[in-house]
Amino acid sequence: MKEVQQVFRVLITLALALVIGGIIMQVSGKDALNAYSVLLQSALGNERAIADTLLKATPLIFTGLATMIAFKAGIFNVGVEGSLYLGAFAAAWVGFTFTELPALVIISLAFIVAGVVGGLWGAIPGYLKARLKVDEVVSTIMLNYVAISLTEYLVLGPFFVPGMSNAMSQEVALQAQLPRIVSRSQWNPSFFIALAVFFIVMFMMRRMTIGYEVRVLGSNPTFARWAGMPVRRIIVLVMFLSGFIGGLAGAGQVLGVHYRFVAGFSRGLGFDGIVVALLGRNTAVGVLLAALFFGALRSGGATMEMFTRIPRDLIDIVQALIIFFIAIDVGFGWLRRRFAPLTGGSETDLLAEGAGD
Amino acid sequence: MPYLMMQDITKHYPGVAANTDVNFAVEKGEIHALVGENGAGKSTLMKILYGLEQPDSGRIMLDGKPVIIPNTYSAIRMGIGMVHQHFQLIPSLTVGENIALGYESRKGIFVDRTGIATRVRALSEQYGLQVDPNQRVAELSVGIRQRVEILKMLYRNAKLLILDEPSAVLTPQEVDKLFEVIRNLVHQGRTAIFITHKLHEVMAICQRATVLRRGKVMGTLEVVSTNPVEIARMMVGADIDTVQLTTTSRPGIRQLHLEQLVAEDDRGLKVLRNIELSVHSGEIVGLAGVEGNGQHELLEVLVGLRRPKSGQIYICDTLATNLNGRQRREDGLALIPEDRNQEGLSNDLSIWENLAITRYYTAPQSRGNVLRIGHLQQKARELMQRFDVRANSHNTRVGTLSGGNAQKVVIARELAETPRILIAAQPTRGLDIGAARFVHEQLVNLRDQGVGIFLISADLDELLAVCDRLIVLFEGRIAGRLTAAEATRETLGLLMAGRSTENEVTTS
Repeated sequence: MKEVQQVFRVLITLALALVIGGIIMQVSGKDALNAYSVLLQSALGNERAIADTLLKATPLIFTGLATMIAFKAGIFNVGVEGSLYLGAFAAAWVGFTFTELPALVIISLAFIVAGVVGGLWGAIPGYLKARLKVDEVVSTIMLNYVAISLTEYLVLGPFFVPGMSNAMSQEVALQAQLPRIVSRSQWNPSFFIALAVFFIVMFMMRRMTIGYEVRVLGSNPTFARWAGMPVRRIIVLVMFLSGFIGGLAGAGQVLGVHYRFVAGFSRGLGFDGIVVALLGRNTAVGVLLAALFFGALRSGGATMEMFTRIPRDLIDIVQALIIFFIAIDVGFGWLRRRFAPLTGGSETDLLAEGAGD
Repeated sequence: MPYLMMQDITKHYPGVAANTDVNFAVEKGEIHALVGENGAGKSTLMKILYGLEQPDSGRIMLDGKPVIIPNTYSAIRMGIGMVHQHFQLIPSLTVGENIALGYESRKGIFVDRTGIATRVRALSEQYGLQVDPNQRVAELSVGIRQRVEILKMLYRNAKLLILDEPSAVLTPQEVDKLFEVIRNLVHQGRTAIFITHKLHEVMAICQRATVLRRGKVMGTLEVVSTNPVEIARMMVGADIDTVQLTTTSRPGIRQLHLEQLVAEDDRGLKVLRNIELSVHSGEIVGLAGVEGNGQHELLEVLVGLRRPKSGQIYICDTLATNLNGRQRREDGLALIPEDRNQEGLSNDLSIWENLAITRYYTAPQSRGNVLRIGHLQQKARELMQRFDVRANSHNTRVGTLSGGNAQKVVIARELAETPRILIAAQPTRGLDIGAARFVHEQLVNLRDQGVGIFLISADLDELLAVCDRLIVLFEGRIAGRLTAAEATRETLGLLMAGRSTENEVTTS
């Protein structure tokens, strides 16, 4: 019942976003139905299109899972973007430094170092929250800027490559570059690493003690404290794990797409993880599906722009509408209002909050 | 004809009788105290009056006319205003903006800022509530924020003000100032309902007091012809439906010992002063006291959530002052917390998940960081049977259980592995008689098995029914120590109201 309701809510959200996106197109004189059919074609129409969709979904799976873990624990981590940048740089560094290592070793090492660096970066605001009660929203947002600027400084300063006009690092060793699987698409094996992480996260959340701790902490932190859970340690650990996965996202982009660190390359992949986690209703399966959905929108949007006269900004509009409808919680609001008279539940207002004993 | 009459108000939630046939009348121009322990039904009654809840039955007469109050908006329109314990202010807005929010006077399509400021100034002068309308709320102290809340109600022309434990968050100086303000309001024709469980406050400013207990009105008293002892006795009850369960106790070794314990609350005020007490195995020691006399902070200190200023805690002869909650539990401490829904359970999780929390991290409940869910669920089913938890399955969400069943989940968890010392805080609050009886039997059984039990309660019947020894807490001090034989309602009531008979004699 609960699952059905969840799926229902997500579908309403998507439908409304797409319909209103369509209205916006129609009003601005474009053929919405045509646009969507081209979008669908170019996202799923052929092998290359599907490969591109999976390519675009890959970082979103990582960042969506990273965000989800923190959300589940009731920690509003907006700092996945920062972990992603530091992880990306760390992976690039491994890739262009240990050039003698065989392929499997250097790739594994790059991902692990990226994860650890991203994790430690995430653990900083985690520690500040656990020890000093620093609000994590503020600290993680601020640390994002630090991470973006720090990595830019690294490629312009200590790791400057003479002759390079843009802020980017050396290319990683040839054997560290993940191969392309389908011709004319950048789709690469980092997608399967994302899938593996998805299964690990699912196992962790359902079966491991940390998953249980996250559930308790997220559902009622007061209870967790009174029952003697090591709440501070859990907060730091969760933020480490969240940052770790964020770091992996960075490594996937570097080793699979760019083959080097490029300053400012992400343009919000970490933030997109928030939307993915919210649309996925904070469940691992939901995150996977939401990431694939956005992957399709993005890869389709790029092609759509070429074949119709509809700019890919439409995709941003649809994404913004989804955020909007998640924020006002459409599906649920309808249900509540419909059934309120039957169940006797009353609408509470702002003033109701403080009236409890 | 009283200004406000609430007649035969009944409101039941699943498993909880919050209000049963409550009759409550307030005269125009009086300060009327509504007293009772937490869970006695004060808040429910006031929520009904303020339109936040609808009664199952009963009616409300305001100014001689029957009224229906479907929501807070209509309550406000009828002149009813409520000052909540947790302020409903927006810190980033100014005082004036907060006061006028939703009821702005306008000039065309613009908010009439000067008009609002003028009106706020006029009101604050008229009632002696000095505030600067242009200051941001974030910059104000708690006492001033409360003034803003009161002004907000006056700005909305509230004639009947409900003040929900207004002194709970204030310093003593701020309380004096608040009382002055309330008196002033009443002199100028307004009426106030004053919710509290501090009896000296009732004596200080109220004309009458209505006492609630377990959802029922115990009586309405004229303050001039009563005293704190009588009110306290009414609050903690005098019904005879609880049966004497105490048999003979055989106290053994010391399981819990507090040594010269001093602690402060979040405001930095001393709330526990040189607490010295022991609980031995095979005895139930009751800590009696009207709520808010330091019990909550004592609990926090006992489970390791609040660091004492000085003094020591021993659990089973281990010095525990610097141990964390988990270590203390491993040493044999178990706890039934005061607030079941917040501190004792997670309503969104299943029964088995709520039962698992104390031991999930060790074998055989988990192995190598992987939970053995099958084992935990099996164990949950056994516990549900042993403690008679009525639910469909171990997967049932705790939030759907009745109060009594939810408390049984807490008890099942805490007693799953027999503790050495059990701290039970208000363990029967909000429970019906059957469920309360079950809890008392569990406590006595446990005592007879040799567990030391520290029962913190505000319910005299409960304390007299099960305790072997009684300690009375008043304003953070031990006001008296009694054996079960010496304890009577009268002596306990006196001590709980602050008539100390002994002065800090350590007997244990």
